[in-house]
Amino acid sequence: MAKIIVYIDDKKLEAESGKTILEVCRENDIEILTMCHLEGITDIGACRLCLVEIEGNNKLLSACTTKIAANMVIKTKTERIKKYQRITTELFFAERNHVCSVCVANGKCELQKLGYKVGLDHIRYPFLFPQCEVDTSHEWYVLDHNRCIMCTRCVRVCAEVEGAHNWDVMNRGNQVRIISDFNTPWGESTTCTSCGKCLHACPTGAIWPKDIVQGQLNKNPGMITELIEKRKLGL
Amino acid sequence: MNRQELKTTIEAEKNKLDLQKTKHRICVCCGAGCISSGSEALLKKLQEEVETRGLEKDVEIIPTGCMGPCNQGPLVKFQPENTIYQKVDCNNIQPVVQAQVVENKPIENMLLFSDSRSKPFVNAKDDPFYKKQLKIALQDCGDINPEKIKDYLSHDGYQALDKVLFEMSPEDVIGEIKHSRIRGRGGAGYPTGLKWETVYKYVSPEKYMICNGDEGDPGAFMDRSVLEGNPHRVLEGMIIAAYAVGANKGYAYIRGEYPLAIKRFELAIKQAKKMGLLGSHILGTEFSFDVEVRIGAGAFVCGEETALIASVEGKRGTPKPRPPFPAESGLWGKPTLINNVETLAGIAPIINKGGEWYSEIGTPKSAGTKVFALAGKINYAGLIEVPMGTTLREIIFEIGGGMPGGEDFKAAQTGGPSGGCIPAEYLDVKMDYESLISLGSIMGSGGLIIMDKSSDMVDVAKYFMEFSMDESCGKCVPCRVGTKMMFDLLQKICNNKGTRIDLNRLEELAVYVKEASLCGLGASAPNPLLSTLRHFKQEYENRIEKEI
Amino acid sequence: MNAAPTVKDIEPVKADPRLKLIAAKIKKENFKPDSLIEVLHIAQNAYGYLPMNVLKYITKALHLPPARVYSTVSFYHFFSLKSKGDHTCLVCTGTACYVKGAQAILNEIEKTFSLRPGQVSTDNKLGVSVARCIGACGLAPVVVLDEEVQARASTTEIVEKINKMVAP
Repeated sequence: MAKIIVYIDDKKLEAESGKTILEVCRENDIEILTMCHLEGITDIGACRLCLVEIEGNNKLLSACTTKIAANMVIKTKTERIKKYQRITTELFFAERNHVCSVCVANGKCELQKLGYKVGLDHIRYPFLFPQCEVDTSHEWYVLDHNRCIMCTRCVRVCAEVEGAHNWDVMNRGNQVRIISDFNTPWGESTTCTSCGKCLHACPTGAIWPKDIVQGQLNKNPGMITELIEKRKLGL
Repeated sequence: MNRQELKTTIEAEKNKLDLQKTKHRICVCCGAGCISSGSEALLKKLQEEVETRGLEKDVEIIPTGCMGPCNQGPLVKFQPENTIYQKVDCNNIQPVVQAQVVENKPIENMLLFSDSRSKPFVNAKDDPFYKKQLKIALQDCGDINPEKIKDYLSHDGYQALDKVLFEMSPEDVIGEIKHSRIRGRGGAGYPTGLKWETVYKYVSPEKYMICNGDEGDPGAFMDRSVLEGNPHRVLEGMIIAAYAVGANKGYAYIRGEYPLAIKRFELAIKQAKKMGLLGSHILGTEFSFDVEVRIGAGAFVCGEETALIASVEGKRGTPKPRPPFPAESGLWGKPTLINNVETLAGIAPIINKGGEWYSEIGTPKSAGTKVFALAGKINYAGLIEVPMGTTLREIIFEIGGGMPGGEDFKAAQTGGPSGGCIPAEYLDVKMDYESLISLGSIMGSGGLIIMDKSSDMVDVAKYFMEFSMDESCGKCVPCRVGTKMMFDLLQKICNNKGTRIDLNRLEELAVYVKEASLCGLGASAPNPLLSTLRHFKQEYENRIEKEI
Repeated sequence: MNAAPTVKDIEPVKADPRLKLIAAKIKKENFKPDSLIEVLHIAQNAYGYLPMNVLKYITKALHLPPARVYSTVSFYHFFSLKSKGDHTCLVCTGTACYVKGAQAILNEIEKTFSLRPGQVSTDNKLGVSVARCIGACGLAPVVVLDEEVQARASTTEIVEKINKMVAP
């Protein structure tokens, strides 16, 4: 691939054409916040945390899905972007029922880390308090919709890596929920292989193993990335 | 059929039409509006009436598409006099036939707008409702039988296709479209010629052409009327577009709510195929193109290009971030051209009369005409087509006949849930893309709702926010959660429970959702709110005043 | 690539003529997974809703993951997983109908029949639903009773007609 020049946050960088802005930023230690991104699976640009400003384009674009172009001038840390990252984080917290103190993922949660990162001390928007179910029907795992942020990393990992496609999204708008099969209890799924990849892909405490207590959850999303790399190499 | 055969057929049909000019042609409007008012029963009754009188030889009865003034229906038009009767039903059709066909003397108190005009017009073309209009996309709607390809052929149908296939290269076609300066009529107003050129430039063995007929704006029925009234015109536009960009397969994505449009478009495809105007080796040339209808399943967001593509692929209609644009990677990942129904309806006239002709209509930046669906508090609701740049005042007070009961105009809502409200002080705004954007609204697909003082603007904003909230696909956070938050805040303000802080939050969220959302739905969802905040701020203030 | 299901796979459903209709459509679409929405349209039209066994059948015939089928069905307004009642009343709530009083009609229906949009009466006789715009704005407000369009609907008239419609 040909090398091209891009300017990110006033730094002149050389990068391979065909790469996304996110890839180039990560290679050069420029921090970009993400939530729905998981290295190795298809990017969908849904969480809008990785939005960047591009000179000459009046729209904000998601770094994970936008490819670099020669002489692109990219800004990742403008006041507007920081403000929007904060609002997005607030909306994540206000959308469902997140109570960190009693969560299995407390201290290990990507959403919690994001909150610290954007300096969230309180949420200015009213909490929506939707009614959410907790699916405990699976022999080993639990799916708690209260803690789900609809990043759909589980959906993509299951379909793209495991190839089972147990998960998908039902309904639309603020009624969306993760479902298994025909909205059947997870434990009764005919497609789930119980591989546990969704558990590691999940950034919050929404999917967790039953034998874990509060704050003790250890997730390893990097394992999925590793797996994909190994497969590519034919190992 | 080859080129010569097409020419012969067209000539024959035109001759037939000339012969009939001396006779009576009775057009019965079978647009969706008139059908609901009972025009199908009327059509049957009329046929009986003509038979009993033994007039079959002198009279031709044609069920046609929409004639425009939908709330006066059922409408019956007599040609060649161009006399339109309104509110005709099975009981009063007899005297009309007697007067118009036998005695050649119109019944004045049944003519179009006879209940509101002191002197109704015998030739409807003289009526201000039609006089101010210029019909290009709707040109033959209301004059031809949409279910007969020969009717279309007699009105210069498929001549543009003939010209394109035998006299023009794809580059020539794109050049002509660029020259016409026509812009996408779906709402955003992207230059059509540029879009075609982009798809044309991508090299790929497979390319697709999609006609976007997923007209989902509440209050809009332009595409519906074109598809129902003149489906062949849209089909011809699709074939020409496909030839220009090099696509061999097309889809017409039509809203499931429009069964008649679907039926007629499918019929049009069948007829065109039979005549060799569609399918393999069109008119004996090397160019092949096939079209399939895809029925929308009720999702507003599917009007968005990438969501529409997902829907054609049989999936949830969730949009994808652009870039990559469909022109590069669209249906099945192949270069795809998507044009709106109304845009495609304008293609054949541009080819026939030249891009120069089209570019001279309208305003310098917005060429051509635009179809509007006029509704709400207006005397003559219905479908109109005017040159771009016609003022709102002309549309409401000259074409639309003003407000019922002489009420004062308060606001006009354009662009549906993606657009905004224009207040009375801008009645003289020219209706074109840029002017509407400068007022915080958009052209949109052409819904134009007129409101008087009985409409509460905070409530209007809430109404559209609820729509966007319900229609959000739920993929990206700003739109999924933001529209819900904004709706809740609006509801609170509507219930007189809002505070200054709520109003500030609302404004902050509106700008955030507009800029951070993934697709056009989210990006435009705050528009009704932002435009009412801009033009009717006082109504919000009045609601929160009582609090601190 | 999966082998296309043969007619034999469709065999068990031969009894119901409506399932036959669906089977024919699936065959016509060459068992292509991307024809899902087209097939669902046929099923929805035939049944008025999508019964679970029909969904399962379609899922199998098109070789799709169940979750993908359910996610698609639940996304679109046209598809419904519940029966809508023997008789239907559809109130258009498009902008023109809204301005001309669609809400008043809905309120009256709720008052008279205790049914809100999306609900079906306990005896399954009447189902009430709303459409975002049926494209007959010139005739606003519009109500559709059992596929018959009622133009310039007045509140009392509609309630009367519904009463007549659901009368035994």
